[in-house]
Amino acid sequence: MTDWNCARTEERLSDYLDGILSPAEAAAFSAHASGCEACGKLVAQVGGLVHRMRALDALEVPPQLIPKILESTLGPRRTQSAGWQRWFAWVPQLWQPRFAMGVITVAATILIVLYSTGISPTKLKKADLSPTNVFRTANRQVHLTYARSAKFVNDLRVVYEIQTRLQPDAEPSPSITPAPAPQQNSQPPSVNPQEKSQTSPHPGHSQSRNGTMLASLLNGDWTENFGAIVICDVPRSPR
Amino acid sequence: MEPDAQLVQGCLRGEGPAWEELVRRHTRRVFNLCYRFTGNSTEAEDLSQEVFLRIYRTLASYRPAFGAFPTWLTSVTRNLLVDHYRRTRRDRLTDSIEDAMPKLENKQSAARTPDKLALASELSAQLQQGLGRLSPELREAVILRDLQGLDYSEIQGVLEVPEGTVKSRINRGRIELARILEEMGLRPQN
Repeated sequence: MTDWNCARTEERLSDYLDGILSPAEAAAFSAHASGCEACGKLVAQVGGLVHRMRALDALEVPPQLIPKILESTLGPRRTQSAGWQRWFAWVPQLWQPRFAMGVITVAATILIVLYSTGISPTKLKKADLSPTNVFRTANRQVHLTYARSAKFVNDLRVVYEIQTRLQPDAEPSPSITPAPAPQQNSQPPSVNPQEKSQTSPHPGHSQSRNGTMLASLLNGDWTENFGAIVICDVPRSPR
Repeated sequence: MEPDAQLVQGCLRGEGPAWEELVRRHTRRVFNLCYRFTGNSTEAEDLSQEVFLRIYRTLASYRPAFGAFPTWLTSVTRNLLVDHYRRTRRDRLTDSIEDAMPKLENKQSAARTPDKLALASELSAQLQQGLGRLSPELREAVILRDLQGLDYSEIQGVLEVPEGTVKSRINRGRIELARILEEMGLRPQN
């Protein structure tokens, strides 16, 4: 192959470097390259470059890339590391303030509901969970709460009335009007504050006034709560 | 059956660990190809992610009879790189005009500076600069042949061009890259 020239050397350079030239072509190539300065330099340059590129290590993958790929394909839940860690991956999330607040709120709500419906978690039975029993218990609790509130208000009224009547020197009153007796056991003695101010007891009639009040108190079932007040009142009655 | 083919079968049966193993086996190849082509670590990461997302969605269309899995993977990667190149061509043209200005003062600043963190050696960094100055056709041919180690028939399958064209692009790419590196002051040996 005597017609081997510089253009052909450049054209077949990679074939030569990759070893796919026929033996005759390879011989002609080598002969030309060793005789031609420019071609010799080119072969050395490109040959060196190819050699060094092939010896180059592949670049390391950024550590976050594989997890990102797995997350974008399998989804976030499947990218946990294998084994026992997968089963306990939810544990650290419990320490987040948002979750803790949620748990506390739910627990408080449950406690309030249980307390208001009268269900004790420690004495809970299977029968308590049936809707009928739950309704019955809740209904009973509501009525009891209402009754207690009504009783409390009535008691307050009685205390107020007693205090008012036991202050004899507050203001003069022209006449004594006995407090009306309670009509029903559940009803407190109806004392109109206005009426009370008009009929404030006179000092001289304190005994009969206290007697009337005692009688009216004794008529109601609420007297048991105010026995102490009545007893305290006794030493004042001879006056 | 080859390990890759077995893993692909596992993936098609919905086995997560099989897909995870397939990703771990081939991420380095895909990332290197993307990085060498773009010269930018962030872009290479995004593109690698895109490649595996596409592979994941189209895995059912892969047929082992048409070629090895790595060749198919490389082909998908290369197609995405070409799409990416076309998408970002306008940005690069603007960049190259801006880069041409300091070229008069300093030849080495002409190419886009590659990400230094990803390149361990000086040669690797200079090579990356040189690749950035090659045309995309020559660049991909040189990367596939000399950095990814594919043979001519595999490159032909990836690029979908005749064998003569593959050989010609590899040859021209190598010669041009050697000249660029010489311009940059990189000596061919040692």
